[in-house]
Parts: sequence; structure tokens; C-alpha cells
Amino acid sequence: MEADRTGGGAVVTVPGLLLFAGFALVGPAAAFLVPSTLIQSLLTQATIYAIFALGVGILIRQNGMVSFGHAAFFGLPAYVIGAVLPLGLMPPELIIIGGLAATALMAFLVGLVIVRVHGIAFGMLTLAIGQAVYEAATRLRGLTGGHDGLSLDLPRFLFGLPLKTFQQPGSMLIVTWLVLALMLAVAFLFAKSRYGLLSEAIRDNEERVRFLGYRTLVPRALTFALSALVTAAGGVLFALYNAFVSPETVHWTASGSALIMAILGGASAPWGPVAGAFTYFFLKEAVGSFTTHWLSIIGVSLIVVTVVFPAGLVGLFDRLRPGNRSQGAANVG
Amino acid sequence: MSANALEVRGATKTYGGFTALAGVDLTVAPGEVRALIGPNGAGKSTLIDVISGRGANISAEVRLFGTDISRASPAQRRLAGMSRSFQRTSIFPGLPVRQQLLLAAHRMGEGDVDELLGEFNLAAVADIAAGLISYGDQRRLDLALALVGRPRVLLLDEPAAGLSFEESKHLAEHLRHLAARWSVTVLLVEHDMDVVFAIADRITVLQLGRVLAEGDPAEIRANPDVIKAYLGSAA
Repeated sequence: MEADRTGGGAVVTVPGLLLFAGFALVGPAAAFLVPSTLIQSLLTQATIYAIFALGVGILIRQNGMVSFGHAAFFGLPAYVIGAVLPLGLMPPELIIIGGLAATALMAFLVGLVIVRVHGIAFGMLTLAIGQAVYEAATRLRGLTGGHDGLSLDLPRFLFGLPLKTFQQPGSMLIVTWLVLALMLAVAFLFAKSRYGLLSEAIRDNEERVRFLGYRTLVPRALTFALSALVTAAGGVLFALYNAFVSPETVHWTASGSALIMAILGGASAPWGPVAGAFTYFFLKEAVGSFTTHWLSIIGVSLIVVTVVFPAGLVGLFDRLRPGNRSQGAANVG
Repeated sequence: MSANALEVRGATKTYGGFTALAGVDLTVAPGEVRALIGPNGAGKSTLIDVISGRGANISAEVRLFGTDISRASPAQRRLAGMSRSFQRTSIFPGLPVRQQLLLAAHRMGEGDVDELLGEFNLAAVADIAAGLISYGDQRRLDLALALVGRPRVLLLDEPAAGLSFEESKHLAEHLRHLAARWSVTVLLVEHDMDVVFAIADRITVLQLGRVLAEGDPAEIRANPDVIKAYLGSAA
């Protein structure tokens, strides 16, 4: 798989495409086969958070950086939609796309400043930015509704589909799943691209990359922006599904949950955070039915994973395939 | 337009109040293999860092085949034809060997690294993550990364660091031939005097951040200051 990247072989293979098509069909199939609205709703939420966590995972995998503030990028497009929609200036679809673009641009500009620092310092900066957005969400009452949150007055049709498509669990499961599949494809193709290879090289050894003739700041900021954009796509779906956004959406605990999902699943492959998100939601659901202290169970599983399987579910999967990609653990960085 | 491959004027580096390199001048002719020797702390590696633009509090006027690159970033220097290797192996542990060479080659406008893999005896480990190959292979990968695109001037900071005597000797011979074949001008730091006297056209001796002597191997071997300051104590 690794050798495909610049070695001249095809990045997109027939088995790969079949696997992708099969994955894309899982969501729609579940929407038809699972009769319970409750489970459909759970799956829809898990899928939205899987996209959130996928964005967080891209940053870990490609840049080797951990963000404690990605909820800002999750909630921002929701707030943009909520604030701009009532003005009636442009079509709602354009506002949604504009909200995504604005989030990615903001992440790129912020990234140009904060990716210069590494490790804990970077984590603290993302936390600070996330909390700044949270504070803004609570204080700018006129725009955001403060602590009460903001109801989104969505139009009856969006992208040619009736609004209820986005708000009923069954149909929304199909929509969110297809977006998830698209974002996974983006993450996969990025990882396989020369630019993805460059970002991994920078993650491993930034100084040497400079001595090979590459500038490193812009690639790192762009990876940060891509990671924010994927997370923002999840945020848009969240906004459409709930037609409501509140400061809790951008609170650091939401960033923390997404980070837990990414680590639980393992960030060394794009699908890791996605698997982590579903594990998280179903653990929460299963444990939550007999105790309110489900977070402690999540905490214990996180400890077990970091100690026993530092590469998460991806690492476990790699270990079960003998002789295949034994460097999985080394890739986490 | 100067005919010199490398011209350095006033290379200086300070750490706090301490001056590690006090205005060193150095001129290397095209095709020459120049060795930098001197006792520990003489400023050999520091001089390589200053010439390649690595680190803070450095200053030097550097000309590469007459072109002033004093203000160029390390990346710009690499594109201008100056490359370097590192004393502490500097590779990409998470990436397969071939991938990292291809990444370097792409920047230099080349698409093929098979020749380099062959030259540095890395073909057998080409598809293995560099963090998992042997130390000797990693040292050669570090050199191969520096030689991608056939740089005009190559700065080598102890290329044989950590290798056995036999391996060092073999590597030195190989570098000597490669430099001649690819017309690369070399400036290298090396501790092993046997290696230095075997491959260097000329030798510059540093002591306490200044040039103590410069000459061909025979002159350096006979220089009383050098014997007193360095060779005598090393023997």
C-alpha cells in the first residue's frame, strides 16, 4: 500500500474502489434494515462525530499534532449559518459552503501562527483558541443567542432536498454516511498524495525537510486547514440535523471527546478515528443503560488502549494481520 | 564571478556570551575534497552549520560558485546546489526508504532514485520504514538524501559517525569516487585521521573557533603547530 504513493503504481485500485463502494453502501443499508428510529438516530449522531474525529485524526496522522480545540471548527459553520441565514442575503446553500470555506480559511490563517510551536504548547494554543470561540459564543448574545443557543431557521428545501431529509434519523443517516465516505476518500487520497507524504516527512523530521529544499510552514498550516475543514463538514451536518447550536457544541469537552475517539480508534490510518467514534457511541449507549457513570468506563478503556494498544484499533487490526505493515506503531509519531 | 565552489568569509557563531566560531574564512576549489579537522570543540560542526544556514546567532558571507547565498534559507541553499548530511542521523523514521528519497528527488526535479539506492546499497531495504533498518543503512540513507539531485557542494558532518573502522574506510573511499564521478565539491568533518589523509585533497585545521592551519595532507602532517595542538595529542 505504502509503495503506491509516488512509486508509479496506481493509488486507486479496483479492490480499493470496491471496498470504498461497499463501505459507502453500509449507511444506506443500515437506514433500511434497522427498524428502530432510536438506533438510526444513534447511528446518525455517531456518523456526524465520526467526521469530527476524522478531522482530528488527519491532524494527528499527517502533522503529528494533537488539537484540544477542534470543537471551534465543528461549531463555527453552524454559527455562521445561524447568524447569516436570517439576513436573507444569499441562498442557504451558498451560506453553508461559505461557512465551510470561512472555517477552513480561518484555520489556515490561525495555523500559520500556531503550527510554529510543537507538542504541549501547540495543544495549549488550540485549547485557548477553542475556548476563545466558546467565550465569543456565550458573550455575543445578539449573534449567537448566548447560553440559550441559536435556533437555525432553515428553509424548506436545501440542495434540492426537502428539509426533513436532514432531520429524520433514517434519511439523515444516509446523508451523513455518504458525507463520511466522501471525507474518508479525501483523507485517504490526501495521505497517498505527494503533499501527504511531504506532511508526514515534516511530522517525522521538519529540519531535514528544510535541508531537502522544501518550505515547511505552509504545508503544515494547509494540513491544519484540511483537518479543520473535515471537522467543519461534520459541524454542518450537526447544524442541519439539530437545527440548533449552543456553546456546548464548541466547548473544549467536545474537542476532548473527538480526541478520545481518534485515539481510541488510532490515527495511523484514516479509518481509525471513524471506528473510534462508533466504538465511543456504542460503549456510551451500552454502558449508559445500566450506569450514569459511563464516562468512567470510557476513561478506563482509554487507559487500556493507550497502555496496551498505543496505536488504537488500527494497531490492533495491524497486529492481527501478521507480517503486514509492522511499522503501524511507528507511524503514529 | 568567482571560480571557487565555496567561499566563506567571517563565519561566526555565538552561544550567549561564548564565541564558538570567530570569523573563519574558507575557500574551496571546484571538485576539491576538503577535510575539516581539529580537537573537540574547535568549531568544525559549527562551521558546517553556519555555512548551511542552520541555527540561530550565526553570520557569514557565503558564496556558492560566485553567487551570494548569505541570506538564503536552508531550503533555498539546497535548491541553489548546496547540500549537507548530519552527524546525528537525520532521516524520516516513519517513511519507507524509497519514499523519502523520492520526496527529495521530486524537489530537485528528478523522478528516479534507483541509481542512488544502488550506489548506497539500499535497494534491499527500499520499501522498509527507515526507523526499522540497521544503523549502517540509516547512515547511508542520510548521505543518499544529501546526494539527491547531485548537489554542486556537499557538506558532510562526520559521515562515518558510529561506524566501525572498516565501514568508515569503505564509506570514505566510496564518497571519494562518487564525488569525482558526479563532480561534487566536498567539505567534510572527520575524526579519523587515516580516513582524512586518504581522501582529502586539502585539509583545514580549526582550533578554538579559528583556523590554525591549512594545506595539503603532507603539509598538515608536517606542520609543527598542528602536531602540537592536535595530531600529537591524538597519536
